[in-house]
Amino acid sequence: MFISGVGGELGTLVASLLEAEDWVGALSGIDADPPRRRLNRTVFHRIHPDEHDRIVSTVVDFNPHVLVHVGVWEPDARAAPRHAAALTDQAATSIIGAAAECSALEHVVVRSGIEIYGRARGSLTRPSESAPIQPTSDWGRTVAAIERTAAQVGERVGVSVGALRLAPVLGPHVPSPLGRLLRMPAVPFSLLADPPFAVIEDRDAARAFVTAARIGLAEPVNIVAPGAITALQAARRGRRIPVPLVGPDWRIARTLSHLAGAPIPDHVAEALHRGRLADNTRMRTLLGFEAETSTTEVIDRLYHWPSIVRQPARVQVA
Amino acid sequence: MERAPVIDLRLGDVPAGMVDDWGRDHSLVTTMTRLANVRWDVSVGGSQYLPRRKGALIVVNARRFALAPIFAAFALGETLHRPVRFVGRPDTAPVGAFSRRIGGLLDHPDEVAGALAGGQLVITGAEHGDIGRVDHALVGAALSVGVSVYPGATVSSPLRRSARLEIGPASKSLRRRRGPLSELELADRIRADIAMLLDELGELHTGTPLDWLPLTGLGGA
Repeated sequence: MFISGVGGELGTLVASLLEAEDWVGALSGIDADPPRRRLNRTVFHRIHPDEHDRIVSTVVDFNPHVLVHVGVWEPDARAAPRHAAALTDQAATSIIGAAAECSALEHVVVRSGIEIYGRARGSLTRPSESAPIQPTSDWGRTVAAIERTAAQVGERVGVSVGALRLAPVLGPHVPSPLGRLLRMPAVPFSLLADPPFAVIEDRDAARAFVTAARIGLAEPVNIVAPGAITALQAARRGRRIPVPLVGPDWRIARTLSHLAGAPIPDHVAEALHRGRLADNTRMRTLLGFEAETSTTEVIDRLYHWPSIVRQPARVQVA
Repeated sequence: MERAPVIDLRLGDVPAGMVDDWGRDHSLVTTMTRLANVRWDVSVGGSQYLPRRKGALIVVNARRFALAPIFAAFALGETLHRPVRFVGRPDTAPVGAFSRRIGGLLDHPDEVAGALAGGQLVITGAEHGDIGRVDHALVGAALSVGVSVYPGATVSSPLRRSARLEIGPASKSLRRRRGPLSELELADRIRADIAMLLDELGELHTGTPLDWLPLTGLGGA
């Protein structure tokens, strides 16, 4: 089993859950950053996405049966949108491409997002996996490209490819622009629409990856926690100050929010204006998987997760 | 589309002040139902035909500006203590956003199929006029997820509060078809069943402006 993006919070969670599975043999992972927690069995390779030759040799030498591709950069999560798109594209091309060279490869699971459906006028409120792919945000186009690359590789080398279309992932350590925005002291919401959106907790998302790898998922599945919430409702639950906005106010709000350390990328702005829901029926029927935490509970937990605590060194060495 | 497991979406499942999976706000619907009760005094009949937990599509006759699917959804939801959605919300704020909060769905077969597969009761109106055409695409959506379609007759007056929603037994096509003819024939069957229900209600129903005259206090649709 090979995990790309094992250094991220979600990748590390996936790796730690896979380590506990009996059916998983050797585990190896790759990322630009080291894992966020101690992994016992996973062999970690620290390689930047633009080092194609090293990635190819590492993956080919390992010769995995299953590739779990979690190495994606959500805009404004850990990198600025343009940089995030470039990193994601480099990682997807080189890692999935390298896996295609492996003779033992049987199955690929890639991370995608429900942003892939887009929120154009007239688009479905809760699109199922059969809904047309019409991304209307940078992040949506990025995950669509990942799915396309994986599907092409799968077709060419004859392996099954499953895509997990995740709702916005929130967790105590997950860098999420939506989570960051909702935790601000004042939360903007669309006065005229205030549409509902759904999320998924990082642990549930990681469990979905493990299940998909185990059953050999060969199609896309929406991974969405049950329930929905609006920005106004979230702000109220978190005792934040809701800031109603209309039209041009958003431009000012986005600038101020950026300066305050919580940039609002276009897919988050879209969720706040047009909503972001998806049908999660196949999550149960195909994966036999049930999210343990509902959207409302994830939002409640979001406001209870502690902030970063900076402790000065006990002994100053420099 | 495959059939989804039955999901119990009773009103109590959604906490007060929250929205459900489709963005319906139960508290707002309760408020709107109270307001609707000021305008309409709807008596509901035939609700025993509807499945208790499974999804179902109900097609009602509709007259322009009568808001038949909306008042029918409120009245039926109040009777069954279960969310009832209606088809035909616009996708522009603020009207579309408000409609979604009170249970509106887009007039799109995939949207309706998704709700029906999720075990929801969905009301849609036939075209305006004297029992207008029934959208066979929505009927096809119901057939694709394996739920029944029920005819519903609505009777209301522009000047009086009294209104009636009568639901009939599930409409069934007389012939078994394998292709898209099934939805066309079932749509025609539903139209005929609605006409029969309206006849049984025995109201003046000409499909002309005469229906609007408060002679009997009642009018078709």
